Amino acid sequence: MAKDVKPTRKELMRIEDRIDLSERGHDTLEKKRDGLIMEFMDILDQAQDVRSDLDDSYDRAQHAINMARAMDGDVAVRGAAAALKEHPELTTQSKNIMGVVVPQIESSKVRKSLDERGYGVMGTSARIDEAADAYEELIENIILAAEVETAMKKMLEEIETTKRRVNALEFKLLPDLYDNKEYIEQKLEEQEREEIFRMKKIKNKKEEEEAAAREEENAEAEEAAAVTADD
Amino acid sequence: MSQEIGVIGSPDFTTGFRLAGVRKFADVPDADKDEELDAAVEEMLDDEEIGIIVMHDDDLEHLSRGVRKDAETSVEPVMVTLGGGTGSGGLRDQIKRAIGIDLMEED
Repeated sequence: MAKDVKPTRKELMRIEDRIDLSERGHDTLEKKRDGLIMEFMDILDQAQDVRSDLDDSYDRAQHAINMARAMDGDVAVRGAAAALKEHPELTTQSKNIMGVVVPQIESSKVRKSLDERGYGVMGTSARIDEAADAYEELIENIILAAEVETAMKKMLEEIETTKRRVNALEFKLLPDLYDNKEYIEQKLEEQEREEIFRMKKIKNKKEEEEAAAREEENAEAEEAAAVTADD
Repeated sequence: MSQEIGVIGSPDFTTGFRLAGVRKFADVPDADKDEELDAAVEEMLDDEEIGIIVMHDDDLEHLSRGVRKDAETSVEPVMVTLGGGTGSGGLRDQIKRAIGIDLMEED
């Protein structure tokens, strides 16, 4: 609770300003959190589609390479794999979703034509080509999945920090500030009451003193009158 | 900056990717996975030229806890796991933690 606050009017005003600011920040952050979650839901749908495509193409690619291995032998497949010269390249650009920078991955040289692959056409069979085709498709899907999943990871991080901030404001900072405000208000009221009481006391004392002085004066006047009457 | 794809796994797993032109790969035979996979993944994570790491979902089990967490939360490079269905690669847990609901429940 209110521990190190000075119960002064200035401090009260300062706390009121802070409450104002925190409330506004809390509202803004809440909106940001909701917005982020909405964006996230969109991406999630996308991600689930991409994922199922990815799993399908992985199954296909595995099937293709197993066929190639079974028909042409492991050595031939490995030999062809070792001969590849062109390799897929990725370039990353960034996109901004509600303040979260998410990557946009672009790829080149994923799909290759037969003559770009580098292994001899004569020495290898069509099954190896099919396997290479299937894996090229798989890589395309992987790149898509990587893009979507990175975006999801980044958004999740942002959602988590925003949520934490909202909760910290809502359950810690604001209640503390309100406590302090109440403490100061009560303390100030208390001081005011004490002040009034003190004034009343002083007033009474003054009146008593005045009454005493008047009595004394009266007594003196009476005495003086009695002396003159005696003469 | 142009980057590449890296593949880690058993020779059977990586061969197909090499057929599609992937240059960066780490062959770790099944028998040595417990000992060598950690180092291979760490090396890939540190490689600036790699933008995407591809692994099989089952291989994650062989990683030590710290490396696994690094790999799952890494954004650059990002790890994509195959064969594990939706929500693999730690994403599902992360969603549960951040949103509070398991959004990836399979129907």
